Amino acid sequence: MDINSFINGLMTSLEPINIMWVIIGGILGTIVGMLPGLGPATAVAVLIPVTFGMEPVSAIILMAAIYYGAMYGGSRSSILLNTPGDGSAIAATFDGYPMAKKGQAGQALAISAVASFIGGIMAVIGFIFLAMPLADFALKFGPAEYFLLMLLTLSAIVSLSLGRMVKGFIAMLLGLLLSTVGIDTQTGVYRFTMGVPHLSDGIDFLIVIIGVYAIGEVLYNFLTIDHEKKEKKEVGKIWFTKEQWKRSKWPILRSGPLGFIIGVLPGAGGSIASMISYSTEKQISKKPEEFGEGAVEGLAAPESANNAASVGAMIPLLTMGIPGSGTTAVMLGALIMLGLRPGPLLFENQPEIAWTLINSMFLGNIALVIVNILLVGLLIKILDTPAKVLYPIIVLLAFIGTYTLSYNVIDFFLLLIFGVFGLFMKVFDFPIAPLVLALIVGADMEQNFRKALLSSNGSLDIFVSTPVSIGLVILTLISLFYPLVIKAFKKKKSNNLDQSSTS
Amino acid sequence: MKAIKLAFPIVLLIISGIFLIASFNVPKANLGNPNGPLYFPIGLSALMLIFCIGYFFQELKNLQKEDDYIRLLIAGRTPKLILVTVLLGIGYAFIFEQTGFLIATILFLGALLFFINGVKKWKANIIVSLCFSFITWYAFSQLLGVSLP
Repeated sequence: MDINSFINGLMTSLEPINIMWVIIGGILGTIVGMLPGLGPATAVAVLIPVTFGMEPVSAIILMAAIYYGAMYGGSRSSILLNTPGDGSAIAATFDGYPMAKKGQAGQALAISAVASFIGGIMAVIGFIFLAMPLADFALKFGPAEYFLLMLLTLSAIVSLSLGRMVKGFIAMLLGLLLSTVGIDTQTGVYRFTMGVPHLSDGIDFLIVIIGVYAIGEVLYNFLTIDHEKKEKKEVGKIWFTKEQWKRSKWPILRSGPLGFIIGVLPGAGGSIASMISYSTEKQISKKPEEFGEGAVEGLAAPESANNAASVGAMIPLLTMGIPGSGTTAVMLGALIMLGLRPGPLLFENQPEIAWTLINSMFLGNIALVIVNILLVGLLIKILDTPAKVLYPIIVLLAFIGTYTLSYNVIDFFLLLIFGVFGLFMKVFDFPIAPLVLALIVGADMEQNFRKALLSSNGSLDIFVSTPVSIGLVILTLISLFYPLVIKAFKKKKSNNLDQSSTS
Repeated sequence: MKAIKLAFPIVLLIISGIFLIASFNVPKANLGNPNGPLYFPIGLSALMLIFCIGYFFQELKNLQKEDDYIRLLIAGRTPKLILVTVLLGIGYAFIFEQTGFLIATILFLGALLFFINGVKKWKANIIVSLCFSFITWYAFSQLLGVSLP
């Protein structure tokens, strides 16, 4: 670790303006994240325009604070309404809502905030030690390795679209195809622009992101807009008992590192981290029968894990420039727009930005645990805002955000097209992350592929020429075929069971 | 229900087909490998077409299965809500630069609120559309320095 850069980053993150952005971002993220049906990706997508005109370092701090603020906020609606903000907050409903039903909503909110805080801090410490070695390692990557790394990330995110791999592949391929629209940077050839000059720069991925995440999400929520609103549980005193802490502390400490490691892996994220930590705690618990009935450790463990995963997911983003999840893909889009190019060179050329961000995460987690305990009574009033008022406002923010990208109303039409497309993707159960991720890394992926082929005079051997590239190819193959092998194995097992029961 | 279930796979098939045909029509490069800009799109669109055909037959096999989300998509006032939101968005695009941000936004947000939140709550709709339009104008144009028409 570069101590000087670390200290410089700490000093910059302690500047009042940056502390202010951490707190504002954390609160904004918490508010959007706690709205039912809206997760961190939507929070970041809708709030991108807020960063316009800011210094890049403040913008990245704000964006990250919105991200982990939304992770904190996501579990508020899980606990109080049994409606998770997004996938990573689902596990919080298993025991959080039963706790609220038993009149322990205040305790549940407090333990979830503290668990998120501890998980987050553990992950930031892990981040500090892992970031530099990974960035140094990534510096040795050539075009072939970069292409293979992107391929691995995409294949991992598709294969983790459990039970819907075909749909995941279609979403990914469409994202890659959309990334080819515009002028080919290597040859200057126009591709798929249909004579529209506005398309010569390509389809702005931020429009797609705002379209599918913000407009698509609102249109999707129209499906249930007239359904009866769920009753919000009373909160009461926001703190937990000694007994509850005793039961939670080890699950929190175990789940933090677990969530962090899962978060670093491409494709995996908060949802998987929280589910794995929940099932692990249930398996090792002396009272597994209490899980699902309001066991405090059943809430603490996934909360610690998903927050740690959200910090872990920023490692591949910042050190390699490869987002491992939908939300980090959205963040990458926003950072590129701000003129920042995350990757190993960020630590080399702009270490102050990277280390300020890392240090701001410490402050952000401290600010968020305070906000989520002291101000939670005030913040959850947002849950009383009628969805019928909220959704038009989100639609409006999406339009304004789109306009500020290129100051051209033609983009409104693209926004609507991708909004409707996002709605159909959700209705037909397509994963959205592969589309967004592929669209963002697509252009780089193609350029790296072609550069690699150019350097090898067209020989594909370049993709298996180094130990790193061979390792990446093997990991890609494993990620693609592992789900199929598991499926076949399970089928065989159930067939054997059927046969033995009939005989 | 069945027609809608097949509509999306067919749309995806058409998109991949169009991309495949258009990929063959991408001009050849004058620099380097003339076919350089073609390989990636052709490979991707061909692969997408294969997956879309697979998906189409998957849906065809499950055509009789009830799907709650598709049922909700066509039930009640949902289709109307989606259609009106999109149409209002198109209208917003047309008046945005003509009338200026503030007027266009008050009209757009107001219309959206009246339609979604109902006419009965007219007071709340008017207050929200006026206040929110002004707040966003002030925040973006004055605080963030974004140039709005």
